[in-house]
Amino acid sequence: CSRLHTKPSISPTLLLSNMYQRPDMITPGVDAQGQPIDPKAMQEHFEDFYEDLFEELRKYGEIESLNVCDNLADHMVGNVYVQFREEEHAANALKNLTGRYYAGRPIIIDFSPVTDFREATCR
Amino acid sequence: RSRSKSKRISGFDMAPPAAMIPNATAATAIVGQMPGTTPTIPGMFTNMF
Repeated sequence: CSRLHTKPSISPTLLLSNMYQRPDMITPGVDAQGQPIDPKAMQEHFEDFYEDLFEELRKYGEIESLNVCDNLADHMVGNVYVQFREEEHAANALKNLTGRYYAGRPIIIDFSPVTDFREATCR
Repeated sequence: RSRSKSKRISGFDMAPPAAMIPNATAATAIVGQMPGTTPTIPGMFTNMF
């Protein structure tokens, strides 16, 4: 997660902070206009996001895993973790994505110490 | 899900509305200010010595 854990100077894993915003982030199951959201539409919204992300990230190297947090702790919500096969690929992606935007919001990207997602829990 | 649907435009590089970029307006303001502020500095030096 993005709390004050040590940030490595290089890692195969990148963290994109709070990148995914669920359509119902204010109230679960309801959109910003107060209309209930169809779970199918929500799934599609997420899949579109995931697809965009994957298509963009694969340009920089071979992706080992791509995780999106759907966690309600606000310091973690929508965090995206992408693990590349090679550290250099991660470094390349970091270089290419820094300072860019996704859906009108700046991309906040950094190396993450996480290499095993089964072990990764914020303590 | 079906891939037949035409490819959407990626959300990457979708810039925020201009009003939401504080740096863009700040940068132009700074550029505009530069010629104005620079001449005052030589003026200050003459007063100081």
